[in-house]
Amino acid sequence: MRYGGEGRTRLLLIILIVTALFLITLDLRGVAVLDGARQGTQTILSPFQKAGNFILSPVKNFVSDVTHLGRTRNQIEKLRADNAKLKADLLNRKNADAQLKQLESILDLAGTAGYKVVNAKVISQGSSQSFSQTVTIDIGSNAGIKKNMTVLSQTGIAGVVKDVFPSTALVMLATDPSFKIGIRIAGTQQIGILSGRGSRSGSLQLLDNLTTVKVGDVLLARGSVANRPFVPGVPVGYVTAVDNSAGEIAQSGTVRYYTNFGGLGVLAVVVAASSTNPGDALVPPKPVPTPIPTVTVYVTPSPSPTK
Amino acid sequence: MLTRQISLSAPIFLFIFLLQEAVVNQFKLPGGGFSLFAIFALVWAVISTPEIAALTGFGAGLLMDMSGGAGGPVGQWTLIMIIICYAVSYLGYGDGNINGNPVGVVFFVVVANLVTEVLFLASSALLGVTTGGFGQILLTLLGNSLWVLVITPIVLPVFSFMHNFVFETRSAL
Repeated sequence: MRYGGEGRTRLLLIILIVTALFLITLDLRGVAVLDGARQGTQTILSPFQKAGNFILSPVKNFVSDVTHLGRTRNQIEKLRADNAKLKADLLNRKNADAQLKQLESILDLAGTAGYKVVNAKVISQGSSQSFSQTVTIDIGSNAGIKKNMTVLSQTGIAGVVKDVFPSTALVMLATDPSFKIGIRIAGTQQIGILSGRGSRSGSLQLLDNLTTVKVGDVLLARGSVANRPFVPGVPVGYVTAVDNSAGEIAQSGTVRYYTNFGGLGVLAVVVAASSTNPGDALVPPKPVPTPIPTVTVYVTPSPSPTK
Repeated sequence: MLTRQISLSAPIFLFIFLLQEAVVNQFKLPGGGFSLFAIFALVWAVISTPEIAALTGFGAGLLMDMSGGAGGPVGQWTLIMIIICYAVSYLGYGDGNINGNPVGVVFFVVVANLVTEVLFLASSALLGVTTGGFGQILLTLLGNSLWVLVITPIVLPVFSFMHNFVFETRSAL
């Protein structure tokens, strides 16, 4: 059914659309007022996000467990065990313990490389309504955080600071499709570019066509000028597949990130890198294979039956 | 009359926006999750007159632009929401099968949400905002639509009640 089509409505529509286009133009030209408005909104929202994170932590753990249901048998077993202890106080305790463990791992990682880090809690997981993969952390410019600083998880790179507000910061995760990082392969020192793909795996593109990469190779961050956005030596992931298609200028492959982006609770922002390059010092140790016991069976021929 | 409607609508919109940012965004849901605020704005637009729907789109889009994870420049969501909210209201206005029927409203909201996402992708491409690979986009569009299809019937009675309260209409979905 058509609307009556009053001229007033059309005029209003045109005014609103022109206003929106005006806002887009102002923002693209870098007018500070709009940045200020966004920062102000984020400042107002951050206490609510922190409160929401605190109240919903037990529920978030439950939802996260349900989300990963069926992926591996071990996780199902763990979920069954967890279901038996679904009491709020225990979940809160467990949540705190998990965050402490993450924090210990992060500090180990940062300490080995000599990075100066500021720890942060994830207070909001951005929805992918805007096709981006981001999280909000509970520290901002008041804690010395600046745009384009490296963000670490307990096992390696988590992302980079995209926007900074007074008491919060927006972190672009390494899985974001627009995320790109220069990497080198531990040991061989080959270099390449890793791009996010929206999932825990990323796309690797080597830069040199004379070198080769193989499955299991460990990737480390190559580092940027003045250590921003990336400090050197941070573990990124390992190669899970290599594409040797004919016609490619250089090899490409698929990489699995070390960081589990589904369970980010505590992160660390690198505010200053060490004066020396940590080199391959942060390469995670390879898992030691469990020895398989061998059984030797001796067969002795029985004496031939007597007639 | 309009002053009363706006003064009642504004806190409701702010509350739902706050709910989205402080509660819904806490969960990393499979398939990209959903935006409760976008669903709310679209439901509000479907059951309003085109004039109110355009204003709804402007207000909702502006708030979405102010969100930290908006993704694009300020004004991008505003422009998209004005167009979509006006369009859904214009197409359904006066047709009881659409804006007077819960099934029609849910259908309109799901389709409008999908179109909103597609428009966001198209405008992002024009504005140079990276949005990811084709497979990932398809997955997000599908997941998001399914979430909207599940969530809308649950929240529709509440949103409809709020709309009736603000506009003093007697029909209820």
